[in-house]
Amino acid sequence: MTLRLPTLLAAAALVLTTACTPGTGGGGGGDGTSFEFWSFAAINQKLSVDAYREKHPDVEVKLTEVGTSTETAQALTTALAGGKVPDLVLIQGDNLPKFVQQPQNFVDLRTLGADDITDDYLDWVMKQSVAKDGEVLGIPTDVGGMAIAYRTDLFAAAQLPTDPAAVSALWPSWEAFIETGKRYKQATGKAFIDNAATSVFYQAVNQVSEKYYSEGRDLVYDRNPQVRAAFDLGVAAATAGITAGQTSFESAWSAGLAQGQYAAVAAPSWMLNTIRSTAPDTAGKWAIAKIPGGAGNWGGSYLAIPKRAKNPQAAWNYIKEMQSPQGQLDHFVRVGALPSTPSVYQDEKLTSRQDPFFSDARIGRVYTDSLLGLKPFYIGPDSATIGQEFLNSITNVEQSGGNPATAWDDAVRNIKTAIGG
Amino acid sequence: MAITLVPAPRVAPPPLAPRTARGLGERLAPYAYIAPFFVLFAVFGLFPFAFTFYVALFDWNPIGDQVFIGVDNFTRMASDPRFWNAARNTVSIWFLSTVPQLLIALLLAHVLNHARLRFALFFRMSVLVPYVTSVAATAIVFAQLFDRDYGLLNWLLGLVGVAPVDFVQSTWGSHVLIATMVTWRWFGYTTLLYLASLQAVPRAVYEAAAIDGAGPWQRFRHITIPSLRPVIIFTVVTSTIGGLQIFTEPLLIAAGAPLTCGAVRQCQTLTLFLYEQGFGEFEFGYGSAVGVALFVVVVVIAAVNYLLSARIRADR
Repeated sequence: MTLRLPTLLAAAALVLTTACTPGTGGGGGGDGTSFEFWSFAAINQKLSVDAYREKHPDVEVKLTEVGTSTETAQALTTALAGGKVPDLVLIQGDNLPKFVQQPQNFVDLRTLGADDITDDYLDWVMKQSVAKDGEVLGIPTDVGGMAIAYRTDLFAAAQLPTDPAAVSALWPSWEAFIETGKRYKQATGKAFIDNAATSVFYQAVNQVSEKYYSEGRDLVYDRNPQVRAAFDLGVAAATAGITAGQTSFESAWSAGLAQGQYAAVAAPSWMLNTIRSTAPDTAGKWAIAKIPGGAGNWGGSYLAIPKRAKNPQAAWNYIKEMQSPQGQLDHFVRVGALPSTPSVYQDEKLTSRQDPFFSDARIGRVYTDSLLGLKPFYIGPDSATIGQEFLNSITNVEQSGGNPATAWDDAVRNIKTAIGG
Repeated sequence: MAITLVPAPRVAPPPLAPRTARGLGERLAPYAYIAPFFVLFAVFGLFPFAFTFYVALFDWNPIGDQVFIGVDNFTRMASDPRFWNAARNTVSIWFLSTVPQLLIALLLAHVLNHARLRFALFFRMSVLVPYVTSVAATAIVFAQLFDRDYGLLNWLLGLVGVAPVDFVQSTWGSHVLIATMVTWRWFGYTTLLYLASLQAVPRAVYEAAAIDGAGPWQRFRHITIPSLRPVIIFTVVTSTIGGLQIFTEPLLIAAGAPLTCGAVRQCQTLTLFLYEQGFGEFEFGYGSAVGVALFVVVVVIAAVNYLLSARIRADR
């Protein structure tokens, strides 16, 4: 095979042209009506984009599913530091504070008319995306709520009740939840939950009135008795012999979920999608019970517009339409993400929604109930790091033979190293 | 006979202007030919390299402020238990992977060099297969073999009554797992290096030794090893530098906490720590400082290599 020089040159020129022309193909070209949208993978964002395009056929939306929520935040950071930014980006709540600390990177949505709609959203959710001088940097798309998903067939085999109301009554508190786990373990010899760190600690620590920061935004994680209590619950669960020692979202965790290696798992509303796609063969064998220990929230995301976006107005039009209370309600019906707009919590479409995969659980009602009476707390720039170190310490006790007596001190020391406090 | 030397008619010099133009072009041409490499190297190699030293002196938030803090990143690193933990892990994994790898390669090269080996080419080629397999694929397969609940290895251990071992979550287990992957990937490459230099040893030397009554072990000990000395030092140094940069394997085995390689950083290597700080926490300054420290270590090892090889050359 011989390639002539002109052919080679032409090919090289083609590659160079393609590589050097930013924003070709799809939207994002700066024409004012089309825009580029970065979202997470595996959350069915495409369904909403398609619904929007159906109503606005003239608008091109270039949707990129970057990866996990963390990977999306990393890609955004890199882009903000000096690359091509999208017009619209989805940011997960845990990653948000670091961006809110640097408001100069984003469009203050008040300049596009955000003041008219901020009252539609749960105020404690909305507050998280407001920077220190009042700039509104993001609009909340959903909240997590909390619940426990459990396998009715495995519960029946352990002579435990299977009806959601009766199961919820088993565990008014986390201590009772751990006791139920012991009963299950005794009856079946199998693990009750996947792991202690996410299914117990991460839930309990989101039911507090004050978390890692105080009301005045000072770090209090090492002396807040509520955090300590949640941590001790996590350690108690880790040492009770009721966990499968599977770290959430690892491949063995997925395999365990599909095979019934454990009977219950913490399930914020977005987790339902994960269970459904990870273990499709278990359809109908799941049900949803109340979370022990009261109201709380885990998760939720925000839509933001980077400062250098070429089509901020088009992106804002999308936010305004799709994140309106009605837009979020439609999204809930499509994919099950819980709205952040309380005005639709009594809507028939939400309260009557049943999910056959989870034994016809009324998922809208379960999750909105878990948000009632929630006491909001401040999430700061180091909250994600602090949470991760606490999580690691409990996982260490559960899976690597770490000493439960020193787990708390180890965690606090690691946090101090990590955040330089 | 008279010889008359007639000077050759002088060729008139060509007009001045074109000559300089062509001369300049000819003198510059070689630089133009090599320019693509050096331009790319300057942009993607030299500049980031030099810039790392600069960034290491800053508290550098890629989307916020960049504050000059002098050597604070380095003092912080010196007292950071996570850094020293990563350094210990790196040394441990390096040792566990390099020693078996070089021993296996040495023996294999000796065997593959045997005069009566049939299908020698086939065997010599097949040791390279792990080397051409992608690291990611290797890591995924090995992680499954070593899995706690569903792994083949633990199933075999279970057959002989050993309780399942959690390789990823324990310190020594994760090191063994990573070292196994590294050994698996590199032993073939090292074998071929040894084999190439063994083939330069005349067969007559082996035959003479055999006639004098030297057994296989003695021939290995007194012929193979001494003739491989320079290349052994070379492989020790390259695998040490490679060992300092182990990254993909630890990143891929602990899916739950990839950037720390597990809950208690039990298998986080120095490069993974650098990546965690730089691209997980986005502390560019601190990450760069770790990079500079790694660079210094590599330079020291390269210098030791140079001195050792110089001494061997002097011995001959």
